Amino acid sequence: MLEVNGEMLARGARAGLKTTWELAKVVVPTAMLVVIFKASGLLDVITDFFAPYMGLFGLPGEAAVVLFSGYFVNLYAAAGSILALSLSTKEITILAVMLTFAHSLLVELPISRKAGSPIGYTLLIRLGCSLGSGLILGVILS
Amino acid sequence: MMVLWEGFLQGLKGVWTVARVVIPLMIVLEIAQSNGLLQKLNRRLARPFKAIGLGEEGAFPIVVAMVFGLTFGSGVILNHVQEGKVSPQETKVIGTFMALAHALIEDTIIFMSLGAPLLILVLPRVMVGYFMAYLVHRRNQHTMLTEGHNIQSVN
Repeated sequence: MLEVNGEMLARGARAGLKTTWELAKVVVPTAMLVVIFKASGLLDVITDFFAPYMGLFGLPGEAAVVLFSGYFVNLYAAAGSILALSLSTKEITILAVMLTFAHSLLVELPISRKAGSPIGYTLLIRLGCSLGSGLILGVILS
Repeated sequence: MMVLWEGFLQGLKGVWTVARVVIPLMIVLEIAQSNGLLQKLNRRLARPFKAIGLGEEGAFPIVVAMVFGLTFGSGVILNHVQEGKVSPQETKVIGTFMALAHALIEDTIIFMSLGAPLLILVLPRVMVGYFMAYLVHRRNQHTMLTEGHNIQSVN
Protein backbone atom coordinates (compact mmCIF):
# COMPACT_ATOMS: atom_id res chain seq x y z
CA MET A 1 0.00 0.00 0.00
CA LEU A 2 1.05 3.58 -0.60
CA GLU A 3 2.23 5.40 2.46
CA VAL A 4 1.27 9.06 2.60
CA ASN A 5 2.26 11.47 5.36
CA GLY A 6 2.24 15.21 5.99
CA GLU A 7 5.93 15.53 5.34
CA MET A 8 5.57 14.17 1.79
CA LEU A 9 2.67 16.51 1.09
CA ALA A 10 4.66 19.48 2.39
CA ARG A 11 7.76 18.53 0.37
CA GLY A 12 5.69 18.07 -2.80
CA ALA A 13 3.84 21.35 -2.30
CA ARG A 14 7.12 23.16 -1.72
CA ALA A 15 8.59 21.71 -4.92
CA GLY A 16 5.46 22.74 -6.83
CA LEU A 17 5.53 26.28 -5.46
CA LYS A 18 9.21 26.55 -6.28
CA THR A 19 8.55 25.51 -9.88
CA THR A 20 5.68 28.00 -10.07
CA TRP A 21 7.94 30.79 -8.82
CA GLU A 22 10.69 29.86 -11.31
CA LEU A 23 8.02 29.84 -13.98
CA ALA A 24 6.61 33.24 -12.99
CA LYS A 25 10.07 34.83 -12.90
CA VAL A 26 10.56 33.96 -16.58
CA VAL A 27 7.08 33.82 -18.12
CA VAL A 28 5.87 37.24 -16.97
CA PRO A 29 8.92 39.28 -18.11
CA THR A 30 9.09 37.39 -21.43
CA ALA A 31 5.42 37.99 -22.17
CA MET A 32 5.91 41.69 -21.37
CA LEU A 33 9.01 41.88 -23.55
CA VAL A 34 7.28 40.27 -26.52
CA VAL A 35 4.30 42.61 -26.10
CA ILE A 36 6.75 45.52 -26.27
CA PHE A 37 8.33 43.99 -29.39
CA LYS A 38 4.85 43.90 -30.88
CA ALA A 39 3.94 47.49 -30.01
CA SER A 40 7.28 48.93 -31.12
CA GLY A 41 7.22 47.31 -34.56
CA LEU A 42 10.37 45.28 -33.82
CA LEU A 43 8.31 42.11 -34.06
CA ASP A 44 7.38 42.97 -37.66
CA VAL A 45 11.05 43.27 -38.55
CA ILE A 46 11.82 39.89 -36.94
CA THR A 47 8.75 38.38 -38.61
CA ASP A 48 9.73 39.57 -42.09
CA PHE A 49 13.31 38.44 -41.69
CA PHE A 50 12.54 34.92 -40.48
CA ALA A 51 9.38 34.28 -42.53
CA PRO A 52 11.15 32.26 -45.26
CA TYR A 53 12.98 30.03 -42.75
CA MET A 54 10.02 29.52 -40.44
CA GLY A 55 7.94 28.68 -43.50
CA LEU A 56 9.94 25.45 -43.80
CA PHE A 57 8.34 24.30 -40.54
CA GLY A 58 4.86 25.51 -41.46
CA LEU A 59 5.29 28.45 -39.06
CA PRO A 60 4.87 32.22 -39.41
CA GLY A 61 7.97 34.43 -39.11
CA GLU A 62 7.13 35.63 -35.60
CA ALA A 63 7.45 32.02 -34.36
CA ALA A 64 11.23 32.62 -34.52
CA VAL A 65 10.86 34.58 -31.27
CA VAL A 66 9.36 31.51 -29.57
CA LEU A 67 12.03 29.19 -30.98
CA PHE A 68 14.91 31.43 -29.89
CA SER A 69 13.54 32.06 -26.41
CA GLY A 70 13.19 28.29 -26.00
CA TYR A 71 16.62 27.39 -27.41
CA PHE A 72 18.56 30.08 -25.58
CA VAL A 73 16.55 30.67 -22.40
CA ASN A 74 14.11 27.89 -21.52
CA LEU A 75 10.66 26.47 -22.12
CA TYR A 76 9.08 28.94 -19.72
CA ALA A 77 10.39 31.81 -21.84
CA ALA A 78 9.02 30.06 -24.94
CA ALA A 79 5.66 29.75 -23.16
CA GLY A 80 5.76 33.44 -22.29
CA SER A 81 6.36 34.33 -25.96
CA ILE A 82 3.56 32.02 -27.09
CA LEU A 83 1.18 33.71 -24.64
CA ALA A 84 2.00 37.15 -26.04
CA LEU A 85 1.70 36.17 -29.72
CA SER A 86 -1.43 34.91 -31.40
CA LEU A 87 -0.47 31.52 -32.84
CA SER A 88 -2.83 28.73 -33.86
CA THR A 89 -2.95 25.41 -31.99
CA LYS A 90 -1.27 23.75 -34.98
CA GLU A 91 1.59 26.25 -34.85
CA ILE A 92 1.92 25.88 -31.08
CA THR A 93 2.05 22.09 -31.51
CA ILE A 94 4.86 22.27 -34.08
CA LEU A 95 6.83 24.67 -31.88
CA ALA A 96 6.21 22.47 -28.84
CA VAL A 97 7.62 19.34 -30.49
CA MET A 98 10.63 21.21 -31.87
CA LEU A 99 11.31 22.73 -28.47
CA THR A 100 10.88 19.54 -26.45
CA PHE A 101 13.84 18.11 -28.39
CA ALA A 102 16.07 21.17 -27.89
CA HIS A 103 15.70 23.81 -25.19
CA SER A 104 17.66 25.68 -22.48
CA LEU A 105 20.74 24.78 -24.47
CA LEU A 106 23.05 27.17 -22.64
CA VAL A 107 22.23 25.43 -19.37
CA GLU A 108 21.60 21.86 -20.47
CA LEU A 109 24.56 21.31 -22.81
CA PRO A 110 27.05 21.82 -19.95
CA ILE A 111 24.92 19.52 -17.74
CA SER A 112 25.09 16.78 -20.39
CA ARG A 113 28.82 17.31 -20.71
CA LYS A 114 29.22 16.80 -16.98
CA ALA A 115 27.38 13.51 -17.40
CA GLY A 116 29.83 12.44 -20.10
CA SER A 117 28.40 13.64 -23.44
CA PRO A 118 30.53 16.14 -25.42
CA ILE A 119 28.80 19.48 -26.12
CA GLY A 120 29.14 19.22 -29.91
CA TYR A 121 27.56 15.76 -29.95
CA THR A 122 24.60 16.71 -27.74
CA LEU A 123 24.02 19.93 -29.69
CA LEU A 124 24.05 18.00 -32.96
CA ILE A 125 21.51 15.36 -31.96
CA ARG A 126 19.21 17.76 -30.12
CA LEU A 127 19.16 20.49 -32.76
CA GLY A 128 19.03 17.85 -35.50
CA CYS A 129 15.95 16.21 -33.99
CA SER A 130 14.38 19.61 -33.32
CA LEU A 131 14.77 20.91 -36.87
CA GLY A 132 14.00 17.49 -38.36
CA SER A 133 10.77 17.13 -36.40
CA GLY A 134 9.81 20.67 -37.45
CA LEU A 135 10.33 19.87 -41.12
CA ILE A 136 8.29 16.65 -40.84
CA LEU A 137 5.44 18.23 -38.86
CA GLY A 138 5.43 21.24 -41.17
CA VAL A 139 4.65 18.88 -44.04
CA ILE A 140 2.26 16.55 -42.18
CA LEU A 141 0.18 19.20 -40.44
CA SER A 142 -0.19 21.71 -43.25
CA MET B 1 1.95 51.49 -20.05
CA MET B 2 -1.25 49.76 -21.14
CA VAL B 3 0.90 47.48 -23.27
CA LEU B 4 3.10 46.44 -20.36
CA TRP B 5 0.05 45.75 -18.22
CA GLU B 6 -1.41 43.59 -20.96
CA GLY B 7 1.81 41.57 -21.17
CA PHE B 8 1.93 41.25 -17.40
CA LEU B 9 -1.62 39.89 -17.25
CA GLN B 10 -1.00 37.45 -20.10
CA GLY B 11 2.09 36.19 -18.31
CA LEU B 12 0.26 35.76 -15.01
CA LYS B 13 -2.55 33.90 -16.70
CA GLY B 14 0.00 31.49 -18.16
CA VAL B 15 1.65 30.99 -14.78
CA TRP B 16 -1.72 30.17 -13.21
CA THR B 17 -2.56 27.69 -15.99
CA VAL B 18 0.63 25.76 -15.36
CA ALA B 19 0.70 26.16 -11.56
CA ARG B 20 -2.67 24.53 -10.99
CA VAL B 21 -1.33 21.36 -12.62
CA VAL B 22 2.28 21.49 -11.46
CA ILE B 23 1.64 21.85 -7.72
CA PRO B 24 -0.70 18.82 -7.34
CA LEU B 25 1.58 16.85 -9.64
CA MET B 26 4.69 17.56 -7.59
CA ILE B 27 2.84 16.29 -4.52
CA VAL B 28 1.90 13.07 -6.33
CA LEU B 29 5.50 12.64 -7.54
CA GLU B 30 6.86 13.14 -4.04
CA ILE B 31 4.51 10.43 -2.72
CA ALA B 32 5.51 8.12 -5.56
CA GLN B 33 9.19 8.64 -4.89
CA SER B 34 8.89 8.22 -1.12
CA ASN B 35 7.20 4.88 -1.74
CA GLY B 36 9.93 3.59 -4.02
CA LEU B 37 7.65 3.53 -7.08
CA LEU B 38 10.51 4.76 -9.27
CA GLN B 39 12.50 1.60 -8.56
CA LYS B 40 9.43 -0.49 -9.38
CA LEU B 41 8.94 1.38 -12.67
CA ASN B 42 12.61 0.81 -13.40
CA ARG B 43 12.25 -2.96 -12.95
CA ARG B 44 9.20 -3.02 -15.23
CA LEU B 45 11.15 -1.27 -17.96
CA ALA B 46 14.03 -3.74 -17.69
CA ARG B 47 13.38 -5.56 -20.96
CA PRO B 48 13.32 -2.59 -23.41
CA PHE B 49 16.39 -1.14 -21.71
CA LYS B 50 18.21 -4.44 -22.05
CA ALA B 51 17.83 -4.18 -25.83
CA ILE B 52 19.91 -1.00 -25.78
CA GLY B 53 22.57 -2.55 -23.59
CA LEU B 54 21.50 -1.21 -20.21
CA GLY B 55 21.13 -3.17 -16.99
CA GLU B 56 18.98 -2.04 -14.07
CA GLU B 57 21.70 0.31 -12.81
CA GLY B 58 22.16 1.81 -16.26
CA ALA B 59 18.44 2.32 -16.81
CA PHE B 60 17.90 4.11 -13.51
CA PRO B 61 19.45 7.49 -14.51
CA ILE B 62 17.16 7.50 -17.58
CA VAL B 63 14.04 6.82 -15.51
CA VAL B 64 15.06 9.56 -13.06
CA ALA B 65 15.76 11.99 -15.92
CA MET B 66 12.44 11.21 -17.63
CA VAL B 67 10.50 11.90 -14.45
CA PHE B 68 12.52 14.62 -12.69
CA GLY B 69 14.69 16.21 -15.38
CA LEU B 70 18.17 16.27 -16.82
CA THR B 71 19.91 17.71 -13.76
CA PHE B 72 18.70 14.88 -11.54
CA GLY B 73 19.43 12.21 -14.15
CA SER B 74 22.95 13.58 -14.62
CA GLY B 75 23.45 13.55 -10.86
CA VAL B 76 22.56 9.86 -10.78
CA ILE B 77 24.90 9.09 -13.70
CA LEU B 78 27.80 10.91 -12.04
CA ASN B 79 27.21 8.91 -8.90
CA HIS B 80 27.00 5.65 -10.83
CA VAL B 81 30.20 6.40 -12.76
CA GLN B 82 32.06 7.19 -9.54
CA GLU B 83 30.85 3.97 -7.98
CA GLY B 84 31.73 1.99 -11.11
CA LYS B 85 28.12 0.91 -11.64
CA VAL B 86 27.98 1.91 -15.33
CA SER B 87 30.55 1.39 -18.09
CA PRO B 88 31.75 4.17 -20.44
CA GLN B 89 29.74 2.46 -23.21
CA GLU B 90 26.61 2.58 -21.10
CA THR B 91 27.26 6.24 -20.26
CA LYS B 92 27.11 7.10 -23.97
CA VAL B 93 23.81 5.28 -24.43
CA ILE B 94 22.31 6.88 -21.31
CA GLY B 95 23.55 10.37 -22.26
CA THR B 96 21.98 10.12 -25.71
CA PHE B 97 18.61 8.96 -24.42
CA MET B 98 18.58 11.51 -21.61
CA ALA B 99 19.48 14.48 -23.81
CA LEU B 100 16.41 13.90 -25.98
CA ALA B 101 13.87 12.65 -23.46
CA HIS B 102 13.91 14.23 -20.01
CA ALA B 103 11.54 16.14 -17.70
CA LEU B 104 8.72 14.53 -19.67
CA ILE B 105 6.14 15.52 -17.09
CA GLU B 106 7.05 19.16 -16.59
CA ASP B 107 7.81 19.94 -20.25
CA THR B 108 4.61 18.22 -21.34
CA ILE B 109 2.48 20.17 -18.87
CA ILE B 110 3.86 23.50 -20.08
CA PHE B 111 2.85 22.88 -23.70
CA MET B 112 -0.34 20.98 -22.92
CA SER B 113 -1.57 23.98 -20.98
CA LEU B 114 -0.96 26.01 -24.16
CA GLY B 115 -3.06 23.59 -26.23
CA ALA B 116 -0.67 21.02 -27.73
CA PRO B 117 -1.90 17.37 -27.59
CA LEU B 118 -0.37 15.06 -24.96
CA LEU B 119 0.83 12.19 -27.15
CA ILE B 120 2.71 14.30 -29.66
CA LEU B 121 4.61 15.87 -26.77
CA VAL B 122 5.72 12.56 -25.27
CA LEU B 123 5.91 9.84 -27.94
CA PRO B 124 8.33 11.45 -30.41
CA ARG B 125 10.85 12.24 -27.67
CA VAL B 126 10.78 8.77 -26.14
CA MET B 127 10.78 7.00 -29.50
CA VAL B 128 13.55 9.10 -31.07
CA GLY B 129 15.56 9.00 -27.82
CA TYR B 130 15.27 5.22 -27.72
CA PHE B 131 16.15 4.85 -31.38
CA MET B 132 19.22 7.10 -31.15
CA ALA B 133 20.31 5.29 -27.98
CA TYR B 134 19.91 2.01 -29.88
CA LEU B 135 22.17 3.30 -32.67
CA VAL B 136 24.80 4.27 -30.09
CA HIS B 137 24.50 0.81 -28.53
CA ARG B 138 24.97 -0.88 -31.92
CA ARG B 139 27.98 1.28 -32.57
CA ASN B 140 29.39 0.35 -29.14
CA GLN B 141 28.95 -3.34 -29.95
CA HIS B 142 30.60 -2.88 -33.32
CA THR B 143 33.58 -1.04 -31.80
CA MET B 144 34.00 -3.68 -29.14
CA LEU B 145 33.89 -6.46 -31.74
CA THR B 146 36.48 -4.87 -34.03
CA GLU B 147 38.70 -3.98 -31.08
CA GLY B 148 38.43 -7.56 -29.81
CA HIS B 149 39.31 -8.78 -33.27
CA ASN B 150 42.39 -6.55 -33.42
CA ILE B 151 43.63 -7.77 -30.08
CA GLN B 152 43.22 -11.36 -31.25
CA SER B 153 45.08 -10.77 -34.48
CA VAL B 154 47.93 -9.06 -32.63
CA ASN B 155 48.21 -12.05 -30.33
